[in-house]
Amino acid sequence: MSEVVIEVGDRPIREVNEDIIAACKPGAKLRIVDTLSRHNLGIGLPPDVNLHFEGSVGYYCGGLNTGATITIERNAGWAVGEGMAKGHITVDGYAGMSVGAAMIGGTIHVKGDTGPRCGVAMKGGNIIVEGTIGYQSGFMAHSGRIIALGGAGESCADALWEGEVWVCGEVKSLGVDVKVIEPTAEEVAEVDAILDPLGLKDTSREWRKMVSGQRLWYFESRDASAWLMI
Amino acid sequence: MCGIAGRILKNPGKVGQDLVELMDAQAHRGADSTGFAIYTEPRSSGYVLRGMGFDKSTLDADLTDFENVLKDHQCGFQRDPEVLTDSNKHYCFRMEISDPDNIDAWVADADTLCNRIEVQSCGRSLEIIKDIGSAKQVADKHGVRDMVGTHGLGHARLATESSVLPNASHPFWARPFADVAIVHNGQITDYYTQRDKLERQGYRFLTENDSELIAVWVSDQIKSGLSMDQALKKSISSIDGVFTFMIAGIDSIGFAKDRFAMKPIVLINQDGGIAAATEEQAVRRVYKQEAQVINHDGPSLSGIWGLESRRAAA
Repeated sequence: MSEVVIEVGDRPIREVNEDIIAACKPGAKLRIVDTLSRHNLGIGLPPDVNLHFEGSVGYYCGGLNTGATITIERNAGWAVGEGMAKGHITVDGYAGMSVGAAMIGGTIHVKGDTGPRCGVAMKGGNIIVEGTIGYQSGFMAHSGRIIALGGAGESCADALWEGEVWVCGEVKSLGVDVKVIEPTAEEVAEVDAILDPLGLKDTSREWRKMVSGQRLWYFESRDASAWLMI
Repeated sequence: MCGIAGRILKNPGKVGQDLVELMDAQAHRGADSTGFAIYTEPRSSGYVLRGMGFDKSTLDADLTDFENVLKDHQCGFQRDPEVLTDSNKHYCFRMEISDPDNIDAWVADADTLCNRIEVQSCGRSLEIIKDIGSAKQVADKHGVRDMVGTHGLGHARLATESSVLPNASHPFWARPFADVAIVHNGQITDYYTQRDKLERQGYRFLTENDSELIAVWVSDQIKSGLSMDQALKKSISSIDGVFTFMIAGIDSIGFAKDRFAMKPIVLINQDGGIAAATEEQAVRRVYKQEAQVINHDGPSLSGIWGLESRRAAA
């Protein structure tokens, strides 16, 4: 199937997204050009299509993705892949705040750093960041995994639920109610299996796995130390 | 949710045009009012005043009383005031005045008329233009696109903490300091506590907008001897709330961002010029080619960008 080229420029985003959806036939390859960091590009894309954004995109790119493979050649603004259920998003550059917010499945791969609250309230899927994850990343993540190969900012994994935050390198500070545990060999193998297809597997890495301390889950209001924690 | 922007040109040029573009791209962040702080080439003496009167039917009496206050301080109009009226009840003015003996004392006296006529900027270089409406509407009405200068700020306001009034628009002048203006995106949660402290020290508030507090707070810090850089850093731990604000002086623009990292600011710094805004798509209106975009996404950040042309001339 030949590649379809769609120009963004200063066209209304609704019109651009209508063109994208119309071109999303099974197996389709789309190249989106002149993106100019515009917001809301490629929302609710179907499975079995391949989109390449030639340039930076603004907020919510690839949101509510149901299975498309998306690459963003440069940076992504806030909430790339928000609420996605399936598919794969690759950001070649930097991704802003709330990467994969409330996502329930699929994979987001950021080659640079991310802004604050990466994976906020995520409920499944994997976020792999080759750089550092920003302030309060993993905030209230219900499930799923954030894997940061270049370290983490302040207040990492704050108020985590059942999600996991895996970090190599420096963690500036931990958030509230976080427990750092030694991962088992099986768990490390599981993470390596996620990294392998991306060419990022390295068995020499030293991981820090962060999970919930679970004290906020069953908050005991008569326990003074619980109040001090928050 | 508001949108803010800052622009520094390498050499003096149509900074108004760029600020209108930056704010038009962020019009969806605040449709209530739009404002611009434009820094023109500084004059060696005299000040430019921008502001508004609240009832155009009393225009003549307002201007007479205002001129009398100027005379009390041994200064006056250098040329006839320019007045802009439309279907709104308020009117906007631009005045050029000679130097008062003591600017603090003059501003205090001028503020006694602030229920009728309000000075919204005073500077050798600074001119604040603000009004209700979108960036395009305000630009068309006030001829902002044709304004030539070195740098400036822009603001699109979505009113959350105070009413949609023309004088509650941004930018705010850090009265009584000439040539200092701020724009702010966020909410100040200890507004009344901080305002009370400042009012006890004699500071005046002309609106109930929480962003005015930042302007007055910064004035107080400068008065107590802090540099702009120090004041910006101190604001992060002293002011409570979620905020990102930008402050401009005669030769620089600075910013400060709260501890919670809720309000974004992105920047392109290229070829001696700077464009900063709440959203990347806005700075891309000015720099259309792919460029290195710096995301100041983290918590507790501050910084200052200087004017190369002024630095080179110094």
